[in-house]
Amino acid sequence: MIDPIIVVANIIDGILMGLLYALVALGLSLIFGLMDIINFAHGDFVMISAYLAWILAMNFMVDPSVTAFVTVPLFFVIGLAIYKVIIEPILGAEPLIQIAVTVGLGFVLQNIALAVFHAEPRSYPAPALNFGINIGPITLVAAKLVAAAVSLVSLFLIHYMLTKTKFGLAIRATSANRMVAPLMGINVGKVYAVVFGLGIALTALGAALYMTWGQVDPYLGASFSLLSWVIVAMGGLGGVIGVLASGLIVGVLEALGSTFITPSARMAVVYLAFFLLLWFRPRGLFARR
Amino acid sequence: MPDAILQVRNVVKRFGGIIAVNNISFDVREGEIMGLIGPNGAGKTTLFNCITGIYTPEEGKVYFMGEDITGLPPHKIALKGIARTWQKTRPFKKMTVLEAVTVGALLRTSNVDKAMRKAEEVLKFIGFPEEKINALGKDITLMDHKMVDLARAIATEPKLLLLDEVAAGLRPHEMDRLAEVLRKINSEKGITMIVVEHVMRFVMGLSERIVVMHEGQKIAEGRPEEIANNPKVIEAYLGTKPV
Amino acid sequence: MMGAEFKKYFITLAVLTVVLALVPFALGFNQYYILLAATSLIFAVFVVAWNIIGGYAGQLDLAPIAYVGIGGIVAAQLLKYYGITPWVGMFIGAGASMLLAAAIGYPTFRFGIKEVWYALLTASLVVILNNIAHLPQFLGSLDHYLPAKTGWYYLIFTDYQNLYYVILAVLVATIAINLKISNSKTGYYLRAIREDELAAEALGIDVRKYKLKALMTYAGIMGFTGYLYIVLQGTYSYHTFDSPTSLTIAIMGIIGGLGSVAGAFTSAIFLKTVEEYLRSTIGAMIPGLYLLIYGILLIVVGIFKPEGIAALFNWVKKKIGFDRRGA
Repeated sequence: MIDPIIVVANIIDGILMGLLYALVALGLSLIFGLMDIINFAHGDFVMISAYLAWILAMNFMVDPSVTAFVTVPLFFVIGLAIYKVIIEPILGAEPLIQIAVTVGLGFVLQNIALAVFHAEPRSYPAPALNFGINIGPITLVAAKLVAAAVSLVSLFLIHYMLTKTKFGLAIRATSANRMVAPLMGINVGKVYAVVFGLGIALTALGAALYMTWGQVDPYLGASFSLLSWVIVAMGGLGGVIGVLASGLIVGVLEALGSTFITPSARMAVVYLAFFLLLWFRPRGLFARR
Repeated sequence: MPDAILQVRNVVKRFGGIIAVNNISFDVREGEIMGLIGPNGAGKTTLFNCITGIYTPEEGKVYFMGEDITGLPPHKIALKGIARTWQKTRPFKKMTVLEAVTVGALLRTSNVDKAMRKAEEVLKFIGFPEEKINALGKDITLMDHKMVDLARAIATEPKLLLLDEVAAGLRPHEMDRLAEVLRKINSEKGITMIVVEHVMRFVMGLSERIVVMHEGQKIAEGRPEEIANNPKVIEAYLGTKPV
Repeated sequence: MMGAEFKKYFITLAVLTVVLALVPFALGFNQYYILLAATSLIFAVFVVAWNIIGGYAGQLDLAPIAYVGIGGIVAAQLLKYYGITPWVGMFIGAGASMLLAAAIGYPTFRFGIKEVWYALLTASLVVILNNIAHLPQFLGSLDHYLPAKTGWYYLIFTDYQNLYYVILAVLVATIAINLKISNSKTGYYLRAIREDELAAEALGIDVRKYKLKALMTYAGIMGFTGYLYIVLQGTYSYHTFDSPTSLTIAIMGIIGGLGSVAGAFTSAIFLKTVEEYLRSTIGAMIPGLYLLIYGILLIVVGIFKPEGIAALFNWVKKKIGFDRRGA
């Protein structure tokens, strides 16, 4: 019989992680909703920015989360560049080619990391927030609480941006009807570029937060990619709210899998959810526009 | 009195809260060219898709040659003998014209050579320029596309052909040529046709009989001259009562 | 197919077979080189077979190694624990892979999953199999070895030439299957599906059925060849279900040009040979270099020349009048 306290603790952990996953997945969701492009390499950007956060943290002896102030704007710019050089040229291409190019991108990122850092996992040895906060019988890692809090705030900010600002309106309009948007004076190319940059920037934020307790190896991207896809498949095109809800569900699912089956089964549960989701979700989600 | 090859009975199709097709019934007689017109949003395309199997109506039935085909998937509908053309052209860009029409012909034979010969025959029948039959789908004009679309559909040896706004985007002389081809297909191959259309001149000149839809319902049925003078029809299009 | 076409293909294939058969001689029976050649050849089988689902049916299947692994491991285990010769085991392996393909493919196509989601689904399949194989009930964490016997019964030899010729035979058969499909009703239907599924359906094509047919044919070939792959590798384990290798096969297929047998073949032989060369020279210093190059190549091909190597072949065909297409 499993100690209910452990179950509760794990579920809370799942909720915290879910917020972080939602943050990372939001970028994928915005990009997909807007351009019909699923960036196969999404998780690999998390991985690369995690390495960068690690390097900066090690070099300047600061907590990885602080490095976000540098990595996030940097990755926004990198996102813009990748959009311009790789994504824009393939916007009109056949879907299989579009996917193939982002697969190639993922490969490139993974193997650059492998070549430079080799396969051993890296982590920051003395993160500032690596202490526990006790709430009754449950101990929560402060770093995860902070990550969850930052994620939540960021999600809220983006939701605000999408719903209340002019640019957010432009994004939603272009998402809804990319043919008509230019007639409304919207520069579709600019919207695409900024959203792509934003999506990548969010991965950098997620990575910086994650590195306050986690470790990175060249294959970290695979887990974050899968989690992001499941979240997008589940509720992904419903804006921030949908992604947030899905993120929480996925986080809890992962935690439950780890608790009731085995810790290494955490991903298995997510994969199973992914398969079932794809098979039984209403067709509407997958119709290309 | 020719038999009804297609019978639409009390078909209702809803999308969430919107009723796109609201209890519509009509017959299509074998061998005729029937026009289906109506202002935008009348539900013509939805009805079209209910017949061709893309949608399943919530209520009502569609009978083809006496058989209930309601809710069958599109490929089975084609097998039964109903073919269609596309409003927004759907060319096979990386295949040649001949190969594309061969795909259609392969419905009735498994032998590729036989199908290809059939395809050549069909293309010749509709008057498609012979020098272009090996052109790739991405390299031909809009009018060519429509002819290829037509040929593809005819190659499946249908008894009923549904045309979805086939005149859209064509110039007057192209429209005339198309109408001539359609008449030829109807008279020489005996294929019944439903012409869903917006371009009045085209559909009025071509159809023997017209059904008019408005807001999901049938509001008039009859010969083109009768329809043109029908006050309900005029009101539906102009939005005001005729003076 | 028409008489002239058939003759053309037959002659080309016959010439290719003879040329490839002479390779071991040209290599002076150097075992290292023959192993390399055999590896390139088996990847040619993989990529040409992948072309059926990727090129003809247009589905970005990222799980080729899943089918290779299942088929190969089934045959290997049958030999190891039941003494069943791979001449039978390979067919059973093919059957197992086809069963897996049907189990995955039927609901996937039924629910209309395509493009991106199909790619993601298949990519996940490899990881799932990797994890399942890792379980102690299955292969656990250890490397598994084939029986230490040699001979035609086991298809294990001290030299590599016999294996090379067996793989060559499989390659020729695979190419023949591809050509047959390409010129048949199935081939036309698959191309139509790839072009435009809706239009294809309206012409009477049962899209799901044909996609499944393509998937199972490809899975069958992969499953059959799996045992030979394991013999070349020397061992098998959960690592056999390796994602980068799986993706590499698809990447080679895309670089070769979707729908082109010649492109698929050339891409596999060329890239695999270069890969082995890189691996043996700089590989120790820069791990994953060849994968990095694959990634870059894929991006470049995708952006600038999506028709891949096949574009080169089409250009040559046009020049020597092999092509019926005029216009």
